[in-house]
Amino acid sequence: MSDTSLKSSVLTRRDFIATGAKLSAAVLAAPYIMRGQAATRGDAINVALIGCGEQGRVLLNAAIKIPNLRFRAVCDIWPYNRTYGERLLKKFGHDVRPFEDYREMLSAVPDIDAVIVATPDFVHAEHTNAALRAGKHVYCEKLMAHTVEAARSMVLTARETGKLLQIGHQRRSNPRYLHAKEKLIKDARLLGRITNASGQWNRAVSDDLGAPANHVLSEAKLNQYGYANMHEFRNWRWFKRYAGGPISDLGAHQIDIFNWVLGSNPRSIIAGGGADYYTTHEWYDNATAIYEYPTPEGLVRATYGVLTTTSAGGGYHEYFMGDEGALKISENPKYTKLYREARAPEWDQWVEKGLIAKPESGEGAPPPVKAWEKPRAKLSTGPARGSVVDVRETAELSAWDIPVTLDKAIHQPHLENFFDAIRHGTPLNCPAESAFATAVTVLGVNRAIAAQKMLTFAPEDFVV
Amino acid sequence: MIRSLLAFAVVLSALGSAAVAQDKVPLKIDLPKPLFVGTPRPLQLANLEKPRSGRRPEIMVPAGTVNLSKGQPVTSSDPLPVIGELTYITDGDKAGTEGTYVELGPGTQWVQVDLGDSATVEAIVVWHFHSQARAYHDVIVQVSDDEEFNSGVKTLYNNDDDNSSALGAGKDPAYIETFEGRLIEAKGAKGRYVRLYSNGNTSDELNHYIEVEVYGRK
Repeated sequence: MSDTSLKSSVLTRRDFIATGAKLSAAVLAAPYIMRGQAATRGDAINVALIGCGEQGRVLLNAAIKIPNLRFRAVCDIWPYNRTYGERLLKKFGHDVRPFEDYREMLSAVPDIDAVIVATPDFVHAEHTNAALRAGKHVYCEKLMAHTVEAARSMVLTARETGKLLQIGHQRRSNPRYLHAKEKLIKDARLLGRITNASGQWNRAVSDDLGAPANHVLSEAKLNQYGYANMHEFRNWRWFKRYAGGPISDLGAHQIDIFNWVLGSNPRSIIAGGGADYYTTHEWYDNATAIYEYPTPEGLVRATYGVLTTTSAGGGYHEYFMGDEGALKISENPKYTKLYREARAPEWDQWVEKGLIAKPESGEGAPPPVKAWEKPRAKLSTGPARGSVVDVRETAELSAWDIPVTLDKAIHQPHLENFFDAIRHGTPLNCPAESAFATAVTVLGVNRAIAAQKMLTFAPEDFVV
Repeated sequence: MIRSLLAFAVVLSALGSAAVAQDKVPLKIDLPKPLFVGTPRPLQLANLEKPRSGRRPEIMVPAGTVNLSKGQPVTSSDPLPVIGELTYITDGDKAGTEGTYVELGPGTQWVQVDLGDSATVEAIVVWHFHSQARAYHDVIVQVSDDEEFNSGVKTLYNNDDDNSSALGAGKDPAYIETFEGRLIEAKGAKGRYVRLYSNGNTSDELNHYIEVEVYGRK
């Protein structure tokens, strides 16, 4: 590998399209050879993927845009997924070998530098630890593991082997999140003293996943790899032996951002939730938690809620509220906004410095109103009685925008950070130790719901 | 006399209109169950249409219009899909779940339905992928009697606003996939073959088809 490789340009979609159109005939004869395979061994990092399901595909589609990666192997116990991973990568010019068993893959393809683990949570530790012990760097999906002990084993293995372990809390590498944390909150202190935080992820009802009739795995094969049956294999996120439920699938991303932005771990948690709606699931389909975070500036109380039965209520975001301003942030720019309290110092200087943008001018702003869409002036007969301002209300907050956009797949910067760490020693944005603290924080929700009382954390609970 | 002739003409005209109206019937399309899961991602496309609230209005087609594409052979610019089979495209299964869609490689790709004989096409409905709010780039739909699409090509839909697929720029809007599929009116276009292009989508660079239905008469 060489340092010069990172200077290679990434094709834009339009570049890609234009070239693709010109070469459309050639694409048939030879797989898509624009990227990846063009790298020589001296430049490339050899990569393998364990787990070619839904999240594995998301990571593959992000990773194939990164220059100088050479996928060498894919592994999945389900031939349907394995075929998908193999054929997709071959379309992009990667010479990959498919494997059912990760052990065989690790021994049969010795020149792998890095392994991406995108399997169900209950085998994260098994797959990650095996890859680390085989001398590979590992990028493992969140939640790090379905138990604290499994997560702890991953930290210890990374430490023992000296290999890199990045956990897939990808918001930590999102440039808008980095800008908000470092520039707006830390340097400019636009929020003042943060007193509260909240977060939510509301999703509509979804059916259980099925499987194509001609692609059903035998029960013997499923049992061999730890699954009870095909239904649980396809819907593992909802069962306690495989995962931590919606708080682990969805909440983990945002609770991780609480810890990361506040620079602290909670001292207590109280939570409620239950399996109230679905009849075919084990895990809670809704969960609501309250954390207390001690910070150098004082206590921050944070609420978090995940709902899997409604998409109402404003989608998914994290919200940090201080005595001078508030930040509502999300991977979706539509849900991102910065609010200034009337008592705060003027923010115009931060506009001039490029840290923030004037109201309604950023990525999430509505499109400009066209002439024919402008509302007509209404005839007025004097103020209505109902419109008299209630003097007890607080003045409306002014809403400002963040002039930082992400023009890549949302997982791509986090994968890039991992590969930059391998090449250049760049610090990982979510190393195992930090992700362990998040796992303890997140899994505490399920413990608190079961306990039906407030639980406390000791600082040493978050340390391996 | 003149007044009588005029009255007769009016009656004839009314009868003619009634006859035409009687020949037109609503196009009935069987829709799959909505599949949207997850949370919508931001989409940024210059020519993206505003999503419609409520169900798609029915269109009227001549009586006798039927689905001509069910079970008909399909070919493609990508004969080795990433996953799935080309036969899925005309098998009538629009569920959109694993095992019901075919995924073609990156870049501009096409699929082509052979109707068997030249036909009068009234409408085409295409379902690319409806389990996620996404839009496909460069959706171009054409009919022709030429299997190679070198001559006699009629373009029914084209939202390639920047001509990135090099088939000519189009002014039709980009749209977000839903369980209703996209209905493209053909208004009696003639052809044996229907070809549909796309060029990746807002989630990845790949091209998906769950089902294509071609409604018309032979």
